[in-house]
Amino acid sequence: MPNSEHIVSGFDRDLEGIQAQIMRMGGLVEEAIARATEALETRDGEQARAVRDADRAIDALEEQVNDEAARIIAQRQPIAGDLRTVLTVFRVSTNLERIGDYAKNIAKRTETIIESPPVNGSAASLRRMARQVELMLKDVLDAYIQRDVALAADVRARDRDVDQMYSAIFREYLTFMMEDPRNITTCMHLHFMAKNIERMGDHVTSIAEQVIYLVTGDMPDDDRPKQDATALSVGPRT
Amino acid sequence: MDDQLMTERRVDAHEIKITARGVQVYYGEKHALKDVDVDILANTVTAFIGPSGCGKSTFLRCLNRMNDTVAIARVEGDIRIDGEDIYDSRVDPVQLRAKVGMVFQKPNPFPKSIYDNVAYGPKIHGLARTKADLDRIVEESLRKAALWNEVKDRLKESGTGLSGGQQQRLCIARAVATGPEILLMDEPCSALDPIATAQVEELIDELREKFSVVIVTHSMQQAARVSQRTAFFHLGNLVEYGNTSKIFTNPDDPRTESYITGRIG
Repeated sequence: MPNSEHIVSGFDRDLEGIQAQIMRMGGLVEEAIARATEALETRDGEQARAVRDADRAIDALEEQVNDEAARIIAQRQPIAGDLRTVLTVFRVSTNLERIGDYAKNIAKRTETIIESPPVNGSAASLRRMARQVELMLKDVLDAYIQRDVALAADVRARDRDVDQMYSAIFREYLTFMMEDPRNITTCMHLHFMAKNIERMGDHVTSIAEQVIYLVTGDMPDDDRPKQDATALSVGPRT
Repeated sequence: MDDQLMTERRVDAHEIKITARGVQVYYGEKHALKDVDVDILANTVTAFIGPSGCGKSTFLRCLNRMNDTVAIARVEGDIRIDGEDIYDSRVDPVQLRAKVGMVFQKPNPFPKSIYDNVAYGPKIHGLARTKADLDRIVEESLRKAALWNEVKDRLKESGTGLSGGQQQRLCIARAVATGPEILLMDEPCSALDPIATAQVEELIDELREKFSVVIVTHSMQQAARVSQRTAFFHLGNLVEYGNTSKIFTNPDDPRTESYITGRIG
């Protein structure tokens, strides 16, 4: 980094302010993922409800962050690293808001499926996958605030594991549904949840790319190996 | 690498107009400019930025030998325009300055009529044979400076009676009247209001089609708006020189970033 402080100290406070809001958003989103998947595993409708309500705070923060970032552009005309800081805030806040929405959707589906009997073992693998995304999110927020490109690159690479877990879960749920058609409704919901978590991973990856752009000025352009093969899947061979 | 703004008119901008190598300037004991190497492109607006006293105006003034007029100034190194050494003893500085025009910070029209302000240069350089020739040069120059429509009915009025922005455009018309190839501008908008500034900036962009424009500015936003290439000077050194879009989004040198983002003066 060049000299860390601006001559106009209000500019520093502005930039620190929006980044602090991003970290707050990140904290809320982490919590939403953890609590939504916990509610699913423990079949706790009340907690699922609470996760849905908490999403409003995330949405409100996103709006605040974007308003503030727009004001900084208008007032301070940021350039170079400052410009990248502001642009990154816009994108990261959008990514975080989307992840929050996916957590909310998991909570909503949880409230529905706890009305039916559980499908054995189905929630545990979802929770493992969510745990993986949660850790990635925690690391990417650390990478963001510390400007740590290596950690961001590591997070980006780890999305592969999420994709693999998703492919495995996809096959697992197909098997449950074929074993007993009464599982279909629940498994369809569970599958959407798995897809939600997989999409969360993509958003975390996008944040990791933003961190790399923020620090280096370039987006990483090498293609990540995609491990989600479900688009090509036609179901278990019999 | 060519990552000019997409909205910019594309002009062939790859021919080198000015080559400077190992340029040193001393004002008495003070080493004002240290070993500057730079290639300035034809049909390109090049911005020189940097804090006060960094050497950017000093370097600008080397390009038309204005430093010759400063008794204690000593210029070393090699500066060539189209391959010709401008510090060669056979070069007449007056002729050089007809080829390398200059516009200053404060509009400084002569206390003469608008017409005479523009006609003065072509007259002393013998560029017009007849009155009709001179009329044509005056009109063309005023048109190039985007001032013709505003002053065509009052060419006999005094140049000092114009508004600040018009006066500055009159000075630009005066500078282009001698048919220069290079236009040097030393903070041409710092005494102008935002509207006049915008008019001069628009004009700079148009002038680029016919001239190489080198502009010294203290406004980062102006450098970013008008130039295709930017050079950052600091403490007499040329720190970084490259495409404007690169300098203002992702400069290579941390000193450049600190300066343009308002962290060092």
